[in-house]
Amino acid sequence: MDSSRNEKRGKILSWLVVLLIIGAGLGFYGWYKFFREVPQEDWVTATPEMRFRYGSIGGERDAGIPYWIFYVLPRVFPEKLPGPGGYASLGVSWEQGRELPIGFTKKTVGFPRVGNTCAVCHTTNYRANPNENPVFINAGPGHTLNLVAFFRFLVDCAKDPRFNADVLMNEINLVTDLPWDDALAYRFLIIPMTKKRLIEREKQFAWIYRKDFPDWGRGRDDSMNLTKYFMLELPMDDSFGPDDIPPIWNLKKYSAPGTTMNHSGDSHDAYSVIIDSALGVVGAAPKDNDEFLGHIKWLQEYLSNLPPPKYPFPIDVGHAEAGKAVFDQHCASCHASDKTGRRMPLAGIDTDKERIGTWNKSNAIAANQVVTKMGIIRKGLVEEELVGYNPPFLDGIWARAPYLHNGSVPTLRDLLEPAENRPKLFWRGYDVYDQKNVGFIAQGAEAERVGTRHDTTQRANGNGGHLFGTALSATEKESLLEYLKTL
Amino acid sequence: MHDLFATPRKTGFLIRLYRHRWARVLMLVLALPTALAFVVAIVLWQRFGTDRPVRYEQIEEHFKYGSTGGERESGFPYWVFTAMPAVCAHHLPGGWASLGFVFEDGKEMPIGMSMRNHQGIDRTFFNCAVCHVSTVRDTPDAKPRLVLGMPANTFNLFGFTKFVFDCAHDPKFAAEYVVPEIDRLMQEKGEKLGLLDRYVVYPVAVALMRERLLMLNGRFAPLMQDTEWGPGRNDTFNPNKILFNFPIHQLPERERNAPVDFPSIWLQKPRQGMQLHWDGNNIMAEERNKNAAFGTGTTPPTIDLAAIGRLEEWLLTLEPPKYPYPIDATKAAQGEKVYAEYCAECHGANGRSFSAPAGTEARACIDPKENESELYGAQVGKITRIEYIGTDRRRLDSFSYDLAVTLGTVYAGYPHRYCHYRKTFGYANAPLDGIWLRAPYLHNGSVPTLRDLLEPSAQRPQQFYRGNDVYEPAKVGFVSELAEQRGRKFFAFDTSRPGNSNAGHEGKRYGTELAPADKDALVEYMKTF
Repeated sequence: MDSSRNEKRGKILSWLVVLLIIGAGLGFYGWYKFFREVPQEDWVTATPEMRFRYGSIGGERDAGIPYWIFYVLPRVFPEKLPGPGGYASLGVSWEQGRELPIGFTKKTVGFPRVGNTCAVCHTTNYRANPNENPVFINAGPGHTLNLVAFFRFLVDCAKDPRFNADVLMNEINLVTDLPWDDALAYRFLIIPMTKKRLIEREKQFAWIYRKDFPDWGRGRDDSMNLTKYFMLELPMDDSFGPDDIPPIWNLKKYSAPGTTMNHSGDSHDAYSVIIDSALGVVGAAPKDNDEFLGHIKWLQEYLSNLPPPKYPFPIDVGHAEAGKAVFDQHCASCHASDKTGRRMPLAGIDTDKERIGTWNKSNAIAANQVVTKMGIIRKGLVEEELVGYNPPFLDGIWARAPYLHNGSVPTLRDLLEPAENRPKLFWRGYDVYDQKNVGFIAQGAEAERVGTRHDTTQRANGNGGHLFGTALSATEKESLLEYLKTL
Repeated sequence: MHDLFATPRKTGFLIRLYRHRWARVLMLVLALPTALAFVVAIVLWQRFGTDRPVRYEQIEEHFKYGSTGGERESGFPYWVFTAMPAVCAHHLPGGWASLGFVFEDGKEMPIGMSMRNHQGIDRTFFNCAVCHVSTVRDTPDAKPRLVLGMPANTFNLFGFTKFVFDCAHDPKFAAEYVVPEIDRLMQEKGEKLGLLDRYVVYPVAVALMRERLLMLNGRFAPLMQDTEWGPGRNDTFNPNKILFNFPIHQLPERERNAPVDFPSIWLQKPRQGMQLHWDGNNIMAEERNKNAAFGTGTTPPTIDLAAIGRLEEWLLTLEPPKYPYPIDATKAAQGEKVYAEYCAECHGANGRSFSAPAGTEARACIDPKENESELYGAQVGKITRIEYIGTDRRRLDSFSYDLAVTLGTVYAGYPHRYCHYRKTFGYANAPLDGIWLRAPYLHNGSVPTLRDLLEPSAQRPQQFYRGNDVYEPAKVGFVSELAEQRGRKFFAFDTSRPGNSNAGHEGKRYGTELAPADKDALVEYMKTF
């Protein structure tokens, strides 16, 4: 009897061991197929330029889209894009010969996924003329990017009944040969889960579907509302204030004491701004704070020392010298002084006020709490009410058109005109440069075809205010424009 | 047996179960259907799990009739293909031959159609030869001479596309009309249509094919309203956009109407390192070839790279045939001097001695830092800017920057993902090997003969006919004045239609101001290429 009991026990034990081995195997398989992280290919991090453009900051884990879904969406739902041309129609900066546009990262987390990085919004492309390919400037404002259309595209696709395993797998099978287990994973897990996750975003994105708000248009985002609705998960209010995507080169200028960042000086320093923006890209609390802050520190180092781009076209040196005198007399007191990059009340500037209404002190306190709870220490958002817009540093100003915080004035020349003479209607996001007027071409057939319509009479689009320099003589304006090209 | 009963603990579970009568019965009951299902599965697998392409040892046969893999995804069931002209006779009164397919004696299928038994059904679709093989005749009554690798001067791809769409739309494209026609055709050949095929396979195949064609027609519809390509031409990159499902109707007008001549594909080796395609948008022959293979119905998972690799190897050194008519040696010698002065810089020393400038071998991928101006210049294989060449710019504009970057996604996940497509701003300077067979001339085939090309565009024919394979040695090109010959109708080419302009490649530098005798001599010399 004893021996038989022992034998029985042994049998149970051996079954347990077998089960354990099977369980461990399955666990490993699950981890391997869904969570294993593979470093990006070597070329991505080979140079700082490439790392900025294509290097992961962890955005694939939660906000990432499974690679093959991302791949086929424009083929299945082309009608939901702003024009013909797949993702290119969104105005992304896309180098020839690359698998993904700049700012889109490919990384395997279990399976290949596509995430984003800062460069998606912070790369400028320009062309000298239409018979030329674009040049890309790292850390410049992404004036061609139709971010709102990208947000809507993903949600609209997910809501479409054709976003299902049959339709998507059919398209995926036309472009690649997935192993059977990956195909099953896509069919029964990845596609349904992606659909669910994308649809969940719809509620927070409600305000970009409002008919009473104009489109952000290319090169703008309603940045503080994005923070409110996604980081703070606040209910939608009635505020609306899309602003120009800013350049993020030469960040070391913000180390001067008293400077604050963002259009309204809403944030204390570069480290905080990079963290908060990156959290938006990552889409959730970082999995590993040390790894996340490692990316942040690298970005801060790279962006602090990245010089603004030099004006790439000829400059009339004599004119520019004369312009410096005009600048010193009329512009420098705000744009090259101890007022630059610091908070300034709106009164007397009188540019469009809507952006100020999108954020307040309690939002700042709440957002700081959220980030602190993640275990991230930073100086953070300025816990005060907003009062106006910071007079910006003007480094690389030639590449930062359209102008004013809301991008309501297409060229520097227009900005030197009184508000009533500035264009009331123009098109944003065409990348051919206008050397005469200093900015991008904003009128004409091609600008209308490629760009998005900016109507200055619509909400948050006003082009009034900042009347400084509008009374200068024609020669003085000409000289000033020439000088501004040198900054 | 006794031992077995004596040590019951060691008895296996099945054996213990087997002792019960009910279990034995149950096992028997279960075993029968299982075995049956197994047999059925094997039969079905043998019947429908097939993937057998036709194979040819000889490379020329492989080129003419071999598979690129396109039948797997895009193949027409062979018998449906054969039945289509009769089923939709009013859309194609002359049958397949009227579309300019080249048929060889004793062959059922035209050159350029390959066969593969895939999933239990013989399927047929294009291979490379459909657009890159044609015929030449000395006189209207002469026997056509087959030339491999020359532009398919007579093949009407537009007409083919239009016919299959029209047929798919026709109520007669249904099993009740198609299957009896297949039955009839098979009986003619002494074959018999099986029950499974009659009632299941072909009805399903016809329905699926119809559905697929109607979907494709939806995407192609706007292009079918554009300038008709006519024989020997196709719009290369607008159909490429359809592959990505770019909505064609949303494209700017300047990108539409971009038909070009089929090119010759011989002598690829000396072309290595040149900017390929009419606008020089790619330096890698393999990418260009894979992209052309989409036209033969392939997809990344179904392309037969080994079969295409065989052809690529063969095409490296395939020679164009020599000019078969008399050449006036004195005149040609005089023309050689004119050529050297006017043409050699851009088109190479002569018809054989050309190669890409050293250092331009195909490289890893486009380097974002490289200087694009190096792609342009007065050298064979480089690009001449559009402002300078002045030829019709539709083809150039049809290849948009958006398309160039989107092509960078093709074959993602494979080691051969495209990474060489780029937007250019001119047309590439082509080598002139076998130029006598490459009429009509210019990228869009808008000038019927070499002699016409040496006239300013105002004096070039405003209207001519394409698709005749009778040669005209005097002007170097095919007979282009006749609308009809021996019952064969040709395509009226109107140079005033969008995409068809015959302007450009003219002026002093391009030889259109030479004395007539010099022009004649030049043409005589180019016959030697």
